[in-house]
Amino acid sequence: MNNNSKFSVEDLDLFYGDFQALKKINMEIQEKEITALIGPSGCGKSTFLKTLNRMNDLVEGVTIKGKISLDGKDIFKEMDAISLRTRVGMVFQQPNPFPMSIYDNVAYGPRIHGITKKSVLDEIVERSLRQAAIWDEVKDKLKKSALAISGGQQQRLCIARTLAIEPEVILMDEPTSALDPISTLKIEDLAVELKKDYTIIMVTHNMQQAARISDKTAFFLVGEVVEFDSTENIFNNPKDIRTEEYITGRFG
Amino acid sequence: MTSNRSSRKIKDNIAKILIYIATSITILTLLVILGFVFYRGLPGINREFLTRMWDDKTTIVTVEKDINNLENKSLNYVPSLGIYIDLQDGNVVITGVEKKSPALNALNKKGEIYRIKKSDIIERVKKIDLREATSLDEAITAIEGEDTSLDLKIRRPGGGILPMVISTLLIIVITLVVALPIGVGAAIYLNEYARPGKVLRVIRFAIQNLAGIPSIIYGLFGMLFFVQFLKMQYSVLAGSLTLSIMLLPTIISTTEETLKEVPNSYRQGSYGLGATKIQTITRVILPSALPGILVAIILSIGRIVGESAALIWTAGTVAQVPRALFGSGAAAATLTTKMFWEIQEASNIDTATSIAVVLIVLVVLLNLFSKLITNKFLKRTGTGK
Repeated sequence: MNNNSKFSVEDLDLFYGDFQALKKINMEIQEKEITALIGPSGCGKSTFLKTLNRMNDLVEGVTIKGKISLDGKDIFKEMDAISLRTRVGMVFQQPNPFPMSIYDNVAYGPRIHGITKKSVLDEIVERSLRQAAIWDEVKDKLKKSALAISGGQQQRLCIARTLAIEPEVILMDEPTSALDPISTLKIEDLAVELKKDYTIIMVTHNMQQAARISDKTAFFLVGEVVEFDSTENIFNNPKDIRTEEYITGRFG
Repeated sequence: MTSNRSSRKIKDNIAKILIYIATSITILTLLVILGFVFYRGLPGINREFLTRMWDDKTTIVTVEKDINNLENKSLNYVPSLGIYIDLQDGNVVITGVEKKSPALNALNKKGEIYRIKKSDIIERVKKIDLREATSLDEAITAIEGEDTSLDLKIRRPGGGILPMVISTLLIIVITLVVALPIGVGAAIYLNEYARPGKVLRVIRFAIQNLAGIPSIIYGLFGMLFFVQFLKMQYSVLAGSLTLSIMLLPTIISTTEETLKEVPNSYRQGSYGLGATKIQTITRVILPSALPGILVAIILSIGRIVGESAALIWTAGTVAQVPRALFGSGAAAATLTTKMFWEIQEASNIDTATSIAVVLIVLVVLLNLFSKLITNKFLKRTGTGK
């Protein structure tokens, strides 16, 4: 299993100014698995997720120590943020489609990477929307505004938009927290389907969700990884008392 | 309890009445002003007022007569020139020009074609002065002489505001072409690139204050710098550049406000797909900010059209269609400067109010036009309603 490692995180420290948000994180994230990151608010799980595609670069006053490698390559020293982000896509907490048509949303990524041929774009748009299990719902209104569809559809559209740049890893930052239960289920099914081809790392507040769909789970607490193990072990057989207290709902 | 309730009710009613009074005063004042302007100004508006030049223009032209044309259609028909004439207020006025009339190919002294038009006045034929003509025959006899070519002195009557309409539109276009890219660019810098801090606060403060400076100060600067130092003379370019500087603060502030309202999630979504900063700005942020930029354009048009102080000493007050962008012959009065001049120098209130009517209609049309374009664009991006 260990040689299938996609992301390898070594001694990662992250500071917002003087505040240390992540402390000595070490983690091996496996290829074509769903890794869930759980923990109470402010524990650093979202910060960690955003470090993996260097979205934290956009925040003022962030300093990062330690090493993260993607397929053995240092993402800070051997890659630039732009090419990293085309390999590591991201789906955000709030669905954030651009104020353009559904088609243009999905075609946005390919277009900025230089694809202009309409037939190629058409093909990418259809494939991505199908993969994100939303094609049948929107195929007749591709030219309509993406802001006019429901929140759940918007989130799947955002997943399709990410898939269109053919990433290897998809980061999901609480992708269902703004959605109703039915839409949530659809996204979960979709994640399970997508892990055949993609490595998925998902921050979630919903512990049942982590238990339902993830292969590995990491429990974060005040900037540290308390426990990182198979989801089964974390939920049935936690080694650390704090993990047990958190998953049984005694705090958080 | 009950007294409290009734006293609250009374207070509520008083407040309501005050608000109604305030609103009525505003609306009434506007209606009175509009009513006055239209009442005084509308009678002076007709086709001539809108399509003619401001000043009379006299030109000496040479016409080759069509001596084969011997038709005699009516008493006021001049066969050899293919025109109809009439005597109006002691002037020999051309009332019609035939399609194949040689008068359409008259040449001026520079050898350029000068098309004689309906309502032109013939003041002199060869050496015969027609300004004192007492009958049409006098004119017809003078024209139908032996010669095959004729020298005519033609006076084209003015009294119209066409030059000012053209100058106004020209100044609007040049000013926006100069000021918009710079203003929007500066706003992008301030909102997307500049690091927040003391320097940025100082820049913002300066911009906000520049927006409040009286326009005559910009006019003074424009006169000293563009007109005199850069030797542009009174010209549309000097006027437009002065207005551009004057409008920059407004454009920057308005655009920046809109950029601030573009949700950060759009930026993150774009960066998350591997877009560069400039791609994010041009493809996501600017299109989302378009309605706000349109507000900046409408505000700018309003101020350009309404400006007089900054233009009088930079673009001049000559009622002509500018023959160049700068240098000699480039001076041009806008509708508003002309209106100011009519009140100030000529005390011609009727003409001034007629210009005012045209101004009001022009502003409304331009605003509608800008809205239409933006709605088209918004529909294309899928955000229109």
